[in-house]
Amino acid sequence: MVTDSVLIVDDEPIVRESIRDWLKDAGYQVTTAESGEEALRMIETQDFGVMVVDIRLPGKTGIEVLREVKAQRPQTKSIIITAYPSVDTTVEAMRLGAIDYLIKPIAPDDLERLIRETIDSVRRKSMVTTEVEILPKPPVVEVVEVKKAFVITKESLKSMIESLSREIEVVGVKSRHGKYVYDKITNFEELCLDYDITVTPPTKYLLPAKETLLKFKLGDKTKVEPVTDATPRAIIGLHPYDIKAIELLDEAFITTNPDPNYIARRRNTIIIGGDSLNPSLKSFTPSMGTHLTETGFDLMLTDIGFDYMVTVGSEKGAELLAKYAEVREPTGDEIAKQKAVRDEAQTKYKTLLDIPKERLPKLLEENYDNPYWESRSKTCLSCGSCVMVCPTCFCFDIQDEVSLNLKDGERFRQWDGCMLVDFAKVATGENFRHDKASRFRHRMFRKGKYIVEKYGRVGCVGCGRCATACLADIASPLEAFNAIAESSRIKEAAIRIIRETRPETELYVPRLAELVTVRELTTREKVFEFGLRDGKPLGHRPGQFVEVSIMGIGEAPISISSSPSRDGTFQLAVRNVGNVTNALHKLQKRTLVGVRGPFGNGFPLETLEGRDLLLIAGGIGLFPLRSLIQYALDHRSSFDRVILLFGARSPTERLFLDELALWSESPEIEFHETVDRGDENWKGNVGVITTLIPKLEIDPKKTMAVVVGPPIMYRFVIGQLKKKDLTDENIVMSLERRMKCGVGKCGHCQINGVYVCQEGPVFTLAQLRNLRESVQ
Amino acid sequence: MKPKVAFFDFTSCEGCQLDALNLEAEELIDLLNTVGIVNFREVMTEREDNYDIAFIEGSISRESEIPRLQKIRSQAKIVVALGACACIGGVNCLKNHLSMEEALEIVYGNDAKYYDTIPARPINAVVTTDYYVRGCPPTTTELLGVIKALLLGKKPDIPNYPVCVECKMADNVCVFERGMTCLGPVIRAGCNAICINNGRHCWGCRGLVDDPNVDSEKDILQKYGLTVAQVVEKFKIYNTYAEVAK
Amino acid sequence: MKQINVNVHQITRVEGHGNIVLNAKNGRIEELRWEAPESPRFFEAMLRGRYYQDVPYIASRICGICSIAHSTASIQATEAALGIQPSAQTLLLRKLLYNAEMLESHVLHVLFLAAPDFLGVGSVFPLVETHRDVVLMALRLKRLAYNLAEILAGRKTHPLSCVVGGFVKLPNVNELETIRERLGHALVDLDTVVELFKTLKVPDFIRETEYIALKDPKEYAFITGEIASTDAGTIPLSDYLEVTNEFCVPHSTAKYTKNKRDSYMVGALARFNINHNQLLPRAKQAAKELELVAPCHNPFMITVAQLVETFHVVEGSINLIDQILDRGLKEENNRIRVRAGRGIGAVEAPRGILFHDYTYDENGVLTKANCIIPTNQNHNNIQKDMEALVPTILNRPENEIKHTLEMLVRAYDPCISCSTHLLSITIK
Repeated sequence: MVTDSVLIVDDEPIVRESIRDWLKDAGYQVTTAESGEEALRMIETQDFGVMVVDIRLPGKTGIEVLREVKAQRPQTKSIIITAYPSVDTTVEAMRLGAIDYLIKPIAPDDLERLIRETIDSVRRKSMVTTEVEILPKPPVVEVVEVKKAFVITKESLKSMIESLSREIEVVGVKSRHGKYVYDKITNFEELCLDYDITVTPPTKYLLPAKETLLKFKLGDKTKVEPVTDATPRAIIGLHPYDIKAIELLDEAFITTNPDPNYIARRRNTIIIGGDSLNPSLKSFTPSMGTHLTETGFDLMLTDIGFDYMVTVGSEKGAELLAKYAEVREPTGDEIAKQKAVRDEAQTKYKTLLDIPKERLPKLLEENYDNPYWESRSKTCLSCGSCVMVCPTCFCFDIQDEVSLNLKDGERFRQWDGCMLVDFAKVATGENFRHDKASRFRHRMFRKGKYIVEKYGRVGCVGCGRCATACLADIASPLEAFNAIAESSRIKEAAIRIIRETRPETELYVPRLAELVTVRELTTREKVFEFGLRDGKPLGHRPGQFVEVSIMGIGEAPISISSSPSRDGTFQLAVRNVGNVTNALHKLQKRTLVGVRGPFGNGFPLETLEGRDLLLIAGGIGLFPLRSLIQYALDHRSSFDRVILLFGARSPTERLFLDELALWSESPEIEFHETVDRGDENWKGNVGVITTLIPKLEIDPKKTMAVVVGPPIMYRFVIGQLKKKDLTDENIVMSLERRMKCGVGKCGHCQINGVYVCQEGPVFTLAQLRNLRESVQ
Repeated sequence: MKPKVAFFDFTSCEGCQLDALNLEAEELIDLLNTVGIVNFREVMTEREDNYDIAFIEGSISRESEIPRLQKIRSQAKIVVALGACACIGGVNCLKNHLSMEEALEIVYGNDAKYYDTIPARPINAVVTTDYYVRGCPPTTTELLGVIKALLLGKKPDIPNYPVCVECKMADNVCVFERGMTCLGPVIRAGCNAICINNGRHCWGCRGLVDDPNVDSEKDILQKYGLTVAQVVEKFKIYNTYAEVAK
Repeated sequence: MKQINVNVHQITRVEGHGNIVLNAKNGRIEELRWEAPESPRFFEAMLRGRYYQDVPYIASRICGICSIAHSTASIQATEAALGIQPSAQTLLLRKLLYNAEMLESHVLHVLFLAAPDFLGVGSVFPLVETHRDVVLMALRLKRLAYNLAEILAGRKTHPLSCVVGGFVKLPNVNELETIRERLGHALVDLDTVVELFKTLKVPDFIRETEYIALKDPKEYAFITGEIASTDAGTIPLSDYLEVTNEFCVPHSTAKYTKNKRDSYMVGALARFNINHNQLLPRAKQAAKELELVAPCHNPFMITVAQLVETFHVVEGSINLIDQILDRGLKEENNRIRVRAGRGIGAVEAPRGILFHDYTYDENGVLTKANCIIPTNQNHNNIQKDMEALVPTILNRPENEIKHTLEMLVRAYDPCISCSTHLLSITIK
């Protein structure tokens, strides 16, 4: 049968052949082509059910092939495979009718499953679809299509919900203490579909207040396994703004670093929304474009008086209606009524944004220093109520918990928020957002600018929950935005497409690494050499970091101190400051720890190539910088001059003494060292590290400076470097923030709109000029 | 070698210690397997004066209690304040609003001259205290959490954010919207908002967060109808010592 | 010259701090006293100036074991002062909550504090090895009591949902049904305890004294009724001061009480002696098996009386739950109007009758409080018991005398830190 036939188009023989063999075993008829031209020749004479095509082909590209196949064989379904996913190509491919894409290396059973589903759905469409119960008149509905609206009576809705609740968990809006909350529904009468707003948002079913990520058993062989919850559930009554919030969460949790826990819940959640016809006083959803939605739901209910209009938003929604409900086509009057009630609802909003929401990011950018942030936040209690009730907030903390037998334990995550005092505090005690004004400003920027720019979706859906919850009455973003409104031009944010990708079940599961050697550097610093248990090299770049796990104690971010060009092991130099580092310092050789990563961008090796390097390390800034120093020495011919400046507080706090000695002798590296204060035996330079800079003779056009050290050092060193005429692009720094998840989700490492764990920790000064919070 | 644990009490209702034994059977057995309880006057006769961790309940309100507490401090490696009285002074500090003479007179009348008392205070006013298990009473979960952390060699993870966080996580409607007033916004979480979950408001038994915006909270209480005297009264019950010490 | 020196400093396995001092030479007693040098708590002073809604919350903290007793007495005194009548539903819930504490307190005392003496060990911990099943059962019963209190009031120590006027949060019906089943199993567990106790030897010591407890014509009284005395009949609550007659003894630290005789006893044995006819069937049966017959004048049998009462509260709780479920729970609007007034709340704490006497002004602010706790009322009786007992055991080894005196004190299940007043010592 035509439908079972698959055409594979890829120039790599290995890819073609392995996929072909797998699919053949699964019973498909498989043909292969090694170029776009060959594929197009084939489709002239043959029809295929599914075509799997690589985007990158020599000659005619995958996109061009898609275009022509779409024209000639419109019924052929295409699947894209690529090693280099990019938003633009994917968008184009989808526009040209590709139904999905997979990233290489492909898991054969994923591909097979996708092909099978595609073929099944094609088969289904060609048969007569689901029959729906007939009511006397008007006409019978035979095919339930997506995006169509029908009329459903209250009785039918009740019966649908009650039938559904016999099979899966059903939650919906109920009243509690005169307000409304989401909770389990045991009978239809409890449901309050005409509510104004719930205290907490329905996003708690996708990202619960507390959720287990991993379970572990401590012992000689510590066992760790990921935990997800796939309880099927239907949520009833979500207003459009909450649905829009879920679309944002989908973007944050699925698109990059797919989160297995979120995905398991999301996949098993049915969304039956309801139009918001009695908005709360503090709601401003029309200003944020979230008072209505055409996407994001399986079914959407509109109360049109006696009955409901139900709009089908997905195949799942269509299935539900077909299986559980009696619906009929709406009359013209009823369609008009749906529009009328929605229009009427819109007149009820009293609070509006004074400027178009598209202008918010620019407006905020220009008002970073507005005194409003300070004055408005004076009465802030840092109580966290605003972030706890917000549907678009998703920052979380991760902690370990063990049982009393000290053997079983779990790693869990729970809600956290940037408005809480210690959110941006690191182990050494520095708090990068230590005052109310900076936290308050960050939240408003996140809602109005960072989220929009990062995910292409509104950051604040205008629900007004925070405005109600805030006892000090300062939380409403509407008030903040209006208060600083000025006219500006804003550029449109990029539209992204959400699709289901292979979840990384192991996203939070650490790999095992064995402690090979330990060396003491000073009284509170040691260097540990680790090797991955599976023998593979870590594969890191200098400047990246890993998250080190000691199950039961926790996980901490640690920079990698060795170059990937050495050994096959990697070294972590660690100061003893917190729980995990404390535990690390007590470890014996051969012990196993958990390691995730490497994360972060690392030093820009390509840009540094061929230049003069001016490497400046203050104190334990030497830890991450050492990986670059070793790399430079191992690839000496790639660089011109290599100058290294190192400053320690005192002679006893100097690190890696043997390497310091080596570098000071070596002709390959110009090494200068100083201590802040000397002792009776010290014969070298005394003075802060900036004192080493003036005497250097460097070519500002050729030199790139790489600076790593404590926050206070940066300002002064940069001052000196600017005196040497180095441009902002040629000054590179590595910043410290509180990294927790390492995968751009938990929110703790944010500097303005960027996640340091993803887009940092290495930045050029030019980049930092745009990140206002980075200046301390 | 199992670490040795001891329980002591001063001026208190002894509820915190009693709750310490409120364990499931498996938990008690696990506990006895991981630590040795060597001194716990309320439930055992044997006692040892050689212990690693001392849990202390109660505040200090008599001169004679001071040397006894100092002796315990000298014998223990780690001292943990258990319960509101030991951590922040507790309700015992209500007495401090009167002069000691007045207090004695009200209770003993003419015989007041035979009794002595000093203003009540938390134990860290007398000895260095290493960790705190807060609440009136604390939850068993938190006490066990501190024990587990100490056994694992890590710092117990006690929140520094207000009760509001946990109250919202538990899906409560804010009590301010239900005709009550509450200290939650300036009080340290860790109790999972148990009082609000059970229909009451927060009295502040876990003490203030590290950097509370007390002025803002007081303004809010007045905004919701309390007089200045009533606002002061709210802070008196548990946070007398904190207010005075400021 | 036989010298006996018994100096028990801070007796173990009682709630609070107490000392026993005995010095005898050649069969002559030179010093014999029971001391309770507890730090004064000053609650009567601290409650002054508090708003009525906060009063029971604070009063609860007089004691951690019987916080529900203090809380209930405080609520009832306040309701009496403000002229508030609790609803029928509230009374049922209050009695059920009260049973939870009675159960927990008695289980704690009988199995954790007193039993070790009978089994020859210093605490319950070694029993984990030798009598594991008994310990697990004791924990099970204790957890049951805790869970029952949690269902009704959020937690057992310093309960939450019970307030002046009623309950601000009603228990969950499913949870009540589940715990009713567990209460049924508890009766089986208690039968095992009875079997265990039948094998233990209770010291034989008789001293007649006056017994005082609450008496209610309709049921075995815990939180309702009037004061009853074996010597003096029934007395209304308003006259409680004439019954207790507190007096101070200088340089000691507690107030003593006496009524018709030199001392009187309150607690489980007093309740049994006065109200034994009103015990529920399983309790009556247990009393028979344990050979507890009214009137009983052996203070060592207080522990046995507690065990009998445990049957009563478990069976009583099952009955209460059935009643509550039958009526169905309804949200009640407890609107309070404050006024000036004075009220007395009396309850039977596990250790005996407890009085809270409050006066409020027209704004609902407390102006005066008096609290008389059960253990105070027993101190004098303990002293008199020791004076009668010691001469009869003076010829025994010192260790045995010490142990017997400790057992005597423990039998009373004293709760000394409740001391809102301090105890006095008398040297005779």
